[in-house]
Amino acid sequence: MASLPVMDTVTGPSMSELWKTRHDKSRYQWSSLGLLTPAFALLVLLFLVPMGFAVYLGLTNLTLVGPTAIHSAFTGMANLERLKSDTTFWSSLWATGIFIVGSVVGVVVVGYVLASLLMRARPWMRMIVGGVVVVAWMMPAVTAGMTWYASTTGGGAFSTLLGIPNTNFLDNDPLLVVTLASIWSMTGFSMLVMGAALRNIPSEAIEAATVENASSWQRFRMIILPLLRPTMTAVVLLTGLLALANFSLIYIMTQGGPGNATNILPLYSYQQAFTYNNLAYGALIGNVMVVIATVFGVFYVRITARRL
Amino acid sequence: MSDVHGMLMSADDVAEMTSDPVMPPANRETQRTKVRSATLHLVLGALGVIFLAPMLWLFLASIDKNASWGVEWPHFSLINFKHVLTGSLLHSLWNSVVLAVISTAIASITGVFAAYSLSRRRIPFKGPLLLFIIFSSGVPLAIMVIPVYEIFSRFGFLSILPTAVFLSVTSLPFEVYLMKNFIDAVPIDLEEAARMERASTFQVLRRVVIPLAMPGIAAASIFGFVNAWGSFIVPLILISPANQQPAPIAIYTFLTLPKAEFGNIAAYSLVFCVPVFILYAVSSRLFREGFVLGGGVKG
Repeated sequence: MASLPVMDTVTGPSMSELWKTRHDKSRYQWSSLGLLTPAFALLVLLFLVPMGFAVYLGLTNLTLVGPTAIHSAFTGMANLERLKSDTTFWSSLWATGIFIVGSVVGVVVVGYVLASLLMRARPWMRMIVGGVVVVAWMMPAVTAGMTWYASTTGGGAFSTLLGIPNTNFLDNDPLLVVTLASIWSMTGFSMLVMGAALRNIPSEAIEAATVENASSWQRFRMIILPLLRPTMTAVVLLTGLLALANFSLIYIMTQGGPGNATNILPLYSYQQAFTYNNLAYGALIGNVMVVIATVFGVFYVRITARRL
Repeated sequence: MSDVHGMLMSADDVAEMTSDPVMPPANRETQRTKVRSATLHLVLGALGVIFLAPMLWLFLASIDKNASWGVEWPHFSLINFKHVLTGSLLHSLWNSVVLAVISTAIASITGVFAAYSLSRRRIPFKGPLLLFIIFSSGVPLAIMVIPVYEIFSRFGFLSILPTAVFLSVTSLPFEVYLMKNFIDAVPIDLEEAARMERASTFQVLRRVVIPLAMPGIAAASIFGFVNAWGSFIVPLILISPANQQPAPIAIYTFLTLPKAEFGNIAAYSLVFCVPVFILYAVSSRLFREGFVLGGGVKG
């Protein structure tokens, strides 16, 4: 806000002078821009510039080592042609899709079930189960990947608990297991967010429906679901974005293997850039991820901006 | 304020899920209600066990001197913790502290100025700027790591400090968004009173806005810290000197050793989690205080 015009009875402006300029609007102040500059300079230098640079990099023949590491050249559409005929890329895109959809559906469903059951549970149950789920969510991805690897490999917790000690779940169904690990590591978030939204549903609405003999499915379908939709959309978009960028969990558990079974886009991009030294091609795969993330991001902006 | 981002929710939310929206029907149905309640607790118990199972190894192996990948009753010993809190492993934890503290400081300080400006001032193109902030708070900026690698390697920046700056940018948009929401809630009357006394912008910020928006600033900083602390791919690619690697890289290195020290991996991973859990507990406390902001203008 601008400082208020100070009225000085001796030297101040006359009323007629005050009328000439508008005082109902505060004007731009240079200091406002000064306050914004550091943050936006950082965002421009380390977000917008790299993003633009990545578009260019994706169309060059830059490598990590060798002669083209220093003298790279613009090769136009060559990398795109390569991408089109790269079967590993298409299988990676497919695995990414399965991983994202599986993670999002699991996180939303399990998070909702937990939130609605915990609401009706006894306090001690709420503390223990809610606490365990939140701890799983807070655990850093590297640790989560490590403990999931230990639990799903042969002789790990799951095979011991299920009484089939030598089953290696991680080798048998790698994509399923990493998707479950991803659900495990994000459910706490959706449980808390949906729990908060559920508590905001006026109890009168549900009581009224109960009085009218609505079945629990009807109550869910007609009252809870519509009121919860904005929250669920936000959870879907955010967990989708997080799953898309999930590198650490899978890299620790499988490094993209066995074969290319869990080689989702962030891992394939890293593999091309730093294992096969094709920095430019890796950047191009990264750009594909940015395009996907932008689609999610635009929807995310649309639902978040409504609340500004 | 029920924000969609995780850090705004707290453990207390779990404890607060007390209100019962489904009123128990009249007493002729108490028997049915009891059966229902038992089923509900059984289902919850099963879900709890499923969520707990993957963590078992972490806890059991960390206190087992003969640990393996399996879960078994531990040969109790704290020797693993003693092993991992020495030498280069301890140094990696210290590197993690340096990385997280520096990146949090940069993001929070530049962020609070930007948030104040966006909250209170008239700024050209404010709408698009806010949309840009929201967009980049949702999109995981860590996917930008290859172009950043190329830029950093050209300037010889592949070390811990520039990496901390990049990490600060990955949490900056969300921090700005969060702090802006909190500053919006600070009553403007207090600021106007300070203005009347001819306080400068920095004085207003330091004495009025920052103290009153402190819960939000602290929560944003905790978000930034946790984000930098847990990040793996960014230091993996952007930090080249081995003695500057943070703890997540050390955990990954354990796996590449020819002979795995299972107990040490578990103990170290557990130690690495502790700051995150402590900060989470702190932030849930902060949010309880965050809601009493309105009291500032009374009297």
